[in-house]
Amino acid sequence: MERKHALCPFQELKWKETTQLVSRAMEEIENSKRSKPNLVWLELNGCTGNTISMMDGQDPDFQYLLTQMTNFIYSNSLLAAQGAQAMDQLFDIIGDEYILAVEGAVSRKDNGLYHIIGRHEGREITGLEAAIRLGERATHIISVGDCASYGGVSAARPNPADCTGISDVVNRKVIKLTGCPCHPDWFMGTVAYLILYGEPPLDDTDRPLMFYGITIHDRCPRRSYYDSGIFATKLGEETCMFMLGCRGPVTQIDCPIRKWNGHVNWPIGDDTPCIGCAQFGFPDAMEPFITYDTMRKE
Amino acid sequence: MAETIVINPVTRINGFMEIVAEIGKNTVTDARTKGMMFRGFEKMLTGRGPLDAVYFTQRICGICSTAHSMAASLALEEALGIVPSEQGRYLRDLLHACEFLQNHLRHLYQYTLPDYVKLPEGYPLFKTDHNDYRLPAEVNERMVNDYFESLEYSKNAHKMLAILGGKAPHNHGVFIGGITSPITVDMIIAIKSILFGIEKFITEKMLPDVYEIAAYYSEYYHFGGGYGNLLTYGCFQHYKELGTLYVDPYIYTNEQYSHFDPDLITQSDEYAWFNEANDPDREKPEAYSWIRAPRYNGVPFEVGPLARQWLSGEYRHGISVMDRTIARVLEAKKITQIMNTLLENLIPGVTMQQEYEVPTQAYGRGLIDTTRGALGHWLSIEDKKILFYQIITPSAWNLSTQTGEKKGTAEQALMGAPVKDQNMPVEIGRIIRSFDPCVSCATHVVIPGKMDKIIQVV
Repeated sequence: MERKHALCPFQELKWKETTQLVSRAMEEIENSKRSKPNLVWLELNGCTGNTISMMDGQDPDFQYLLTQMTNFIYSNSLLAAQGAQAMDQLFDIIGDEYILAVEGAVSRKDNGLYHIIGRHEGREITGLEAAIRLGERATHIISVGDCASYGGVSAARPNPADCTGISDVVNRKVIKLTGCPCHPDWFMGTVAYLILYGEPPLDDTDRPLMFYGITIHDRCPRRSYYDSGIFATKLGEETCMFMLGCRGPVTQIDCPIRKWNGHVNWPIGDDTPCIGCAQFGFPDAMEPFITYDTMRKE
Repeated sequence: MAETIVINPVTRINGFMEIVAEIGKNTVTDARTKGMMFRGFEKMLTGRGPLDAVYFTQRICGICSTAHSMAASLALEEALGIVPSEQGRYLRDLLHACEFLQNHLRHLYQYTLPDYVKLPEGYPLFKTDHNDYRLPAEVNERMVNDYFESLEYSKNAHKMLAILGGKAPHNHGVFIGGITSPITVDMIIAIKSILFGIEKFITEKMLPDVYEIAAYYSEYYHFGGGYGNLLTYGCFQHYKELGTLYVDPYIYTNEQYSHFDPDLITQSDEYAWFNEANDPDREKPEAYSWIRAPRYNGVPFEVGPLARQWLSGEYRHGISVMDRTIARVLEAKKITQIMNTLLENLIPGVTMQQEYEVPTQAYGRGLIDTTRGALGHWLSIEDKKILFYQIITPSAWNLSTQTGEKKGTAEQALMGAPVKDQNMPVEIGRIIRSFDPCVSCATHVVIPGKMDKIIQVV
C-alpha cells in the first residue's frame, strides 16, 4: 500500500537506489567479475532489532542477502550450530577476507564482562574482545544501528554497562549506519556499494551520503504546514509536529522518501514526531521525545 | 560418572545465554540457565520524562518491542488516570497481534526448525553440529522451502504493524489512549489483504509442518515439561462488547486453576549478579546469571503460548517440549481469528489522542500477556519525572535463576531429560528453544527506593 503521498520521479529514483545498486552488484557477481564477499554479523550488547529489521527487507530481501549477495558466515540469531562449533565458525574466518557488520554496543564495564558472546576453547569471550579481534582484521566494518555506531540506547545515561560504539575500540574507519533500528535498505545498499566500488562517499561522521545527506525537515511532506505556522497540538493530527518535539530539523536521513517496512509508513506518517533515532546523540540528546509543554507556554 | 556440558552461545534465541548441565547415565541431573548480557534499563529510565517510556522501553528488545510499548502505555494510563476508548483498545491490540504473528512465524521457522530439519549446508549459517535428522528427504526439502517462504509472511506481519504504527521494529503507534493515528478504510483493507495471506500460510504450511515434526520426534511429548505451573496476565480480553477473545488472567498449579492476584508477585536475586545495594556485581559469590527470579506466591511459573492455550482451554494435550512448540503455532492461528474479529469491529476515523498532562506524583502498573508471556511494567512518578521503573519480562519468568534449592522454570524443564550423545546434546537446545528465550529482555536490575511497596523483594 502506498499511503497518502505521491512521489516525485526524482524521489522515486532515490529510494530505488538500493535496488539498483544491488542488481548491478549481482550482475557482476554472476558474470564472475566479482566474488561474493564473506559477511560476519557480530551481535554485541543490544536488542537484536537490526537483525529483525534486516529480515524485514524488501528488494533486496533477507533471503537474497543470505543466499545470493554474500557468504553469510555468522549470526547469533540464525546459526544452526551452537556452543563450541558456533564459536569456531566465527573465529575461523580470521585470515580470510570478510566484511564485519556489527549490531549492538561494546560493553567496557569490568573489562567487558557485562556481555559474553560465547565460550571459545573453554574461555568466556566478551563482546569487547570479539569486537577487537574481528574488527581489526576485517576488510570493512559496518556498524548497523545506533548502539554499534556510538553506543545508542545501550549507552543511555547513566550508561550502567559502560557501552560505546565499535569505533571506540578499534583503531580504524567504521562505516556508520545510524538509526534505531537501521533500515534494511541502508545496510544492503552499503554492502552493494562495497562490492561494486569499495567505500561509499561518507559525511564527516562516516555515514554514507547517499542515505544520510539531507534532513527529514528538508523533505518533510508536512513542510508547508511548518512554513505556514500550522502546528499539531496532540498526536494523531495531520499537520506539523514541530511543537510536539519533532527532531526532523536536526535528523539527516531519508525516511520521508524511503519510509519503512516495504515503504508503507513512517513515524511522521503515523502522526507522531520524529524522535531523531538516526542522529548521533539519540536518545539522551533527543529527549523529551514527545512534549505538550511547548504549545501550553504560548 | 557425571559429565558437565557447557553450551555457549545458545544460538537461535534473542540475546546471549549459556547452559551448564550435568549428565549422568545419559540423563540431565543438574542444569543452570545463565543470561550473559546486561544493560540496565531501569537505571536509565530514572529521571526521564514518563511519556518517553513508551518508545524508550521498546529498545529493550528488537523482536518483541511492541510488547514493551503495550505494558508502558498501560502503566502510564493508570498513572495519568486515562481510560482508553474501546476503539483505541481494538486498534492497539490489533497492532500488538501483528507482533505475535511476526514473532511466532520467525520462532518456528528461523529459530526452531534448524533443530529438526537439515538446512542446505552449502550456506555457512546452516552447517550443523548434530546428526539427529529424521525427516524423509522429500519432507525435509518441503520444510526447507517453508523456512524461506515464511520470511515473506513474518515480514508482512511487520508490514501490517507499520501500517498501524509507523515502523517496525520500535513502532510509534502504540501510546496512551490506543494508537496515535486514526484508522482509515484503505488501511483496514490493506491489513485484511495481508492477513489473508498470512492466515493461509499458517493453515496450509505452518500447522502441518509442526505436526509433521512432532510425528517424527514424538518422544519430545514426554520430557521438558518442568513444574507444570502456568500463569497468564491475560490478553485480548475483557472488551465491553466483545468480551474476552483469548484469555483472562489465571494461574494453574498442582492441577488446580485459580484467579491471578498481582500482589503475589515477588522477585529474588539470590543467584543473580546483583549485590545488596542492587548494583550489578559479576564477582558475587554463588551468583551465575544476570536474570533474577520472579516468583508467584513463592513458586516459579511458566509463561507463554502454552500457558495461554492451556488456561484459555484451547489446548490441554500436555506440558512438554513438543506441546510448547505446537501451542505456539496454534496460537498463531488463534491470533489471526482475533485480528479478523477486531477488524470487523473498527470504526474508521475515530481519534484517540488528547493533550496529556504528567502528574506531579503518581504510580502505575501495566500487566499484559505478550508473545513470550506475562510482561509487567511498574513505574512511579515524582516531580513529573520517572522516579522508579521496574520491568519483569516473560523470559525472566521462564529463565529465572534458582531460589534456595528451587530451580528456575527452564532449569527444571531440563532436569531428567535424556541426552543420547554427550558430544551432541541436541536435546538441551530443543528444550530451551521451546520457551522462545529472549535474554535481552530478561536481564534487569531493581532500583532501590520505593519498590518494596510495589513488588515485594525477597
